[in-house]
Amino acid sequence: MILWNRILVGVDDGEASLGAVRYLAAVLGGSNTSKVRLLAVYKPPDPDLEPDPAALAAQAAERRLALEARLAEAYHILVEARLAQENLSTDLVETQGRSIGETIMAEQAAGGYGTVVVGRRGMTKAEEFLFGSVSSNVVHQATDCCVWVVA
Amino acid sequence: MPEDGLKRRAEEVLGRPLDRVRLVTDTTQFMGLSRGDVLELQGKRYLITGVAYEGRFGLDEEPKHWVKRALDLEDGGRKLIKLVFYEQFDLPIGHLKVRCYRSPRKEARILELVRGRPEFMQGFTLLDAVGNEVRILDRVPGQSLDRVLDAQRIDHQTYFQTRLRDLLTKFMGCLEAISFLHAHGERHGDIRRDHIFEHSGHGGWVWIDFDYNFELAESPFGLDLFGLGNVLCYLVGRGIPTLQDLKRHRPEVLDRLDSGDLSLVIPNRVFNLRKLYPYLPEELNRVLMHFSASAPIFYERVAEMTADLGPVLALLP
Repeated sequence: MILWNRILVGVDDGEASLGAVRYLAAVLGGSNTSKVRLLAVYKPPDPDLEPDPAALAAQAAERRLALEARLAEAYHILVEARLAQENLSTDLVETQGRSIGETIMAEQAAGGYGTVVVGRRGMTKAEEFLFGSVSSNVVHQATDCCVWVVA
Repeated sequence: MPEDGLKRRAEEVLGRPLDRVRLVTDTTQFMGLSRGDVLELQGKRYLITGVAYEGRFGLDEEPKHWVKRALDLEDGGRKLIKLVFYEQFDLPIGHLKVRCYRSPRKEARILELVRGRPEFMQGFTLLDAVGNEVRILDRVPGQSLDRVLDAQRIDHQTYFQTRLRDLLTKFMGCLEAISFLHAHGERHGDIRRDHIFEHSGHGGWVWIDFDYNFELAESPFGLDLFGLGNVLCYLVGRGIPTLQDLKRHRPEVLDRLDSGDLSLVIPNRVFNLRKLYPYLPEELNRVLMHFSASAPIFYERVAEMTADLGPVLALLP
C-alpha cells in the first residue's frame, strides 16, 4: 500500500539535494508521524570511459565515499530537526544500467513510498535536453505518488 | 613469411615498389607507424599505405594519426585501421561543454552489433600482440552527406520540389539505424552530417565513426537526438541557416524571426525554416521545432521523431 508519510528522499553530491533535505526538515521538524528513507544512487563509472582498471576502481571508490558522506550529512540535518532516529534510514543503491531517476522510482515502487522528494539543479532548458534531469525523470515516471521537487 | 617474401607480397598488393617493409606486432606507438609498415594482428597482415585525414565538414583536413589507410595482404582489400587512442576533452556545444571520451572498446562493440547492416560502416576487431583492440574497417565508397548536398546547385524551392522527399526517405533509414543502436543500449556519440556517407554502390546512407562516448546518466541518447535534429535541419534547409548568413543574404527575413525560432542549443541557428521557406509543410516544420528554443517538449526517443517525420514524406512533392 502507498502511504503518503513514507517518504523517499533522493540524495546526491549536488547542493540541490541538500536543499531538499533542509526543506523536508523544516516541514517535518519535531514530527514523528513519517518514516523517511534517504536514498543515494550510485552509478558506477563507465569502463568505456576509463581504460585503466586501477583508475576505474579509484573513481568508483571516490564516488561511493562522496555519496556516503552526503547521506551522513543529510541524516544529520534531519536528526538536528528532531525527527526520531527510529523513523530515519539511509541507503545507497546501484543504478544497474538504469538512470538515476529510474532507480529512485523503482525504489519508490518497491517500498510503497507515497512521497518522493528530490532537489532540482538550476539547469537550463538546453542542458536538460542534452543531458537530462533527475527531477524531470522522476516527475515523468511518477504515477501513484506525490513528488516534491525543491528548487 | 620470410622478410623478402613479405616485401614482395606488399609490393604486389600495392602495385609499386617499397623502400622498406617492417613487420609490426605492437601498435601502441601508433604515431611511429607509417607507409611500408605491415601490421600483424592475430595472423592477418595489413600494409599501411598512409594516414587518414578528416576535417569537420570537409574543411581544415588534419591527419588522424591513429587511423591508417591500409591494404589487406591476403586479398588486397582497402581498409581503414583504427588503432587504440584514448583521449578525453571538453566538446563545446553552443554555450555548453560536455566531456567527451574516445573509446575504442565502444566502437569495437558496435561493430559487432551492426555486422551485416548496410546502414553502418562494417568492420571487425583484432588484437595486436599486447592486447590493443585494433579495428579493421571497410572503407565506405562514396561521399559524405555534406559533400553530396553541396553539389546540389539548385535554388531551395527547386530542391524542395525535386530532391527533399528522396533525401528524407533516406534519412528515415538513418533514424531507424540509430534507433536500433539505442534499443541495444548503445549510442552513436558523434552524429554529424559528415558522419553519414552516401554509398556509391547501393546509394544508401551509411553511418560511420562510433568511438565517441559520454557520461550521460539521465538522458543517454540526448546528444544523439541533438545531432539528428541538426542533420534534419541541414537536409530541410539545404544547410542550416544562421543569423549571420541571413543578415548577409536575406536581411528582410530577420524581422520575422524571434528567439523561439532558433536552435535550443546553438542559438544562432534558425530552426523555424517555414519562416524562411513558406512552402515547407507545417508538419515538417513542427518536427524541426522540437529542437528550437520555444519547444515545450523535446524528443526523448528516436522513435518519437520517426513517428512524426514518417507521415510528412507523403506531403512532400
